[in-house]
Amino acid sequence: MSVSYRPVGWTRSKIVYDAVLIAGIGLYLAAFMRFAPKARPAGTLLDDQSLAIKAYGTCAFLLLTLVLMIGPLARLDARFLPLLYNRRHFGVITCTVAAAHAMAVLDWYFAYSPLSPWVALFATDTAWGDLRGFPFIPFGVAAFLILLVLAATSHDFWLNFLSPPVWKSLHMSIYGAYGLAVLHVAFGAFQDARNAGLPVVVFGGSGTLIALHLAAAWREHRLDQRGPVDATGWIAAGRIGDVPAGRGLVVPLADGSSVAIFREGDTLSAISNLCAHQNGPLGEGRLRDGCVICPWHGYEYRLRDGCAPAPFTERVATYRLRLEADMILLDPKPNPLGTAVDPVAIGEGGR
Amino acid sequence: MAAAAIIVALGQAWLLAGLAVGVAFLLFGLDRRDASARGAYGFRPLLLPGLVLLWPLVLWRWLEPPSLQPALRRRHKRAHALLWLGLACILPAILATALALRRHDIPVPASVRIDSGSSERDE
Repeated sequence: MSVSYRPVGWTRSKIVYDAVLIAGIGLYLAAFMRFAPKARPAGTLLDDQSLAIKAYGTCAFLLLTLVLMIGPLARLDARFLPLLYNRRHFGVITCTVAAAHAMAVLDWYFAYSPLSPWVALFATDTAWGDLRGFPFIPFGVAAFLILLVLAATSHDFWLNFLSPPVWKSLHMSIYGAYGLAVLHVAFGAFQDARNAGLPVVVFGGSGTLIALHLAAAWREHRLDQRGPVDATGWIAAGRIGDVPAGRGLVVPLADGSSVAIFREGDTLSAISNLCAHQNGPLGEGRLRDGCVICPWHGYEYRLRDGCAPAPFTERVATYRLRLEADMILLDPKPNPLGTAVDPVAIGEGGR
Repeated sequence: MAAAAIIVALGQAWLLAGLAVGVAFLLFGLDRRDASARGAYGFRPLLLPGLVLLWPLVLWRWLEPPSLQPALRRRHKRAHALLWLGLACILPAILATALALRRHDIPVPASVRIDSGSSERDE
C-alpha cells in the first residue's frame, strides 16, 4: 500500500481540533489584552505593543505546557488518545504563536536600533556574570529555534525520511525547549512580574507537567517489570475480557517494544503494535476482513501472518499466544517477519 | 557587538547553505528517495523550511537512506524517564532562584494626567 503525500491530511476531527484550538487562542489573547492591564498596579500600564508581546509570550508558554501534557495523559488514560493523534497540529500552532511573540519583540524593542534587529537582539542581553539581570533572551531564541525545527519537520515525509527512531529522537528535544522556555520566563518576565499571577501559572504548569511525565514513566516502568510466568519466558498479557471491543490490547514488553492482541470472533491473534510504515499504533486500529488497519495512514496487515495483502509488501512481526483459563499468555519473542501463526481459539482454553 | 554580528553572519551562512541543499534535494533527490512523493507536489513547499534548517541531516539521509526494517524497539522510554527526572530537579531550582532574585523594590512611576494640564499620583 502506498499513500501519496498531501500538504495536510485533513479529517473532520482535525478540522474541529484546529478550530477549537485557534478559537481558544483568540479568546486568550483578547482576554489578556482586555484584562491584564487591570491586574497591574496603578502607574505601571504598558503600551499596546508591550502588552501584545506579553500576550503572545504567555500564550506560547501555556500552549507548550499543554502540548507536553498530551503524551503522558494519553499513556495514563486512553480517553486522551484523540488529543495525541492531532498533537503535531498543536505543536505547529504553538510555534506560530511563539513566532508572533518573537516578531513582536523584534519589531518593537529592536526596530529603532541603528544595528540590524537581529544583531541588536544578540548584542543587548549579555550580562552573564550578573545573576540579577541574567540574560534571558538567548534562552528564548534557543527554545524558539527548537520549536521551529520541530514544526518544520512535522510532516509525515520527515518521519519516513529520517526514520522513526531519528525523528523521535529529534522531536524529544521539545523537552529541552521547555526547559529553555522556563529559563527564558524565569529570568525575563518573572523578574518584571508585578503580581503573583505569572509565578503561580509557571510553577503550577511545570509542576503538573513534571508529575504527569514521571507518573507515565513510572507506569511504563512497572509494566516493563512484569516477569515471565514460567521458565519458557512467556508473560501474562491480560485476561480475555481485557481485550477491548474493536481494538487491540496493547502489551508493553521489557525490551521497549509492544504487542497488540486482537480478538476476532472467538479467536485471538497478536502482532507488533508498530506499523511498518511510520510506527503508527496498530493496537488502536480497526479490524476488517482479518486485517488490522493502521489508524494513522490506513496500512493493513493480516492478523495471521503480519503481512500486508498483495500487492503491498509491508510486514510486521507476529507473536505466539496461548490461554490458561481466561489468562492470555504471550511469548515476547517476535517471530521472523512473515511467519504465520494460527489464532488461538477462546473456547479451547489454550493449546 | 562583534560576537552578535558573528552569530548573525553564521546564521545567515547556515541558511544560505541550507537553501542550496534544500532546493537541490527538492529538484533532484525527493522523487528518487521517497516513492510517496512521486506525483505529489502540493506538500513540497512545506518541506523547504526543514530542509534549510537541517541541511547536514538532509545530506546524510540523502546519501545514506535508513533501513526499511520495522523499528521494534523503543529505546526512547528510558531517555524520556531520565530527562524528566532531570527536569524535575532542575526546573524547581531555576524557578526558586528566579523567585528569590525578583526585585520587590521596583519604583512605581507616577502617572500623569495629560488632559487636565496638571499631574497627580494615582496612589
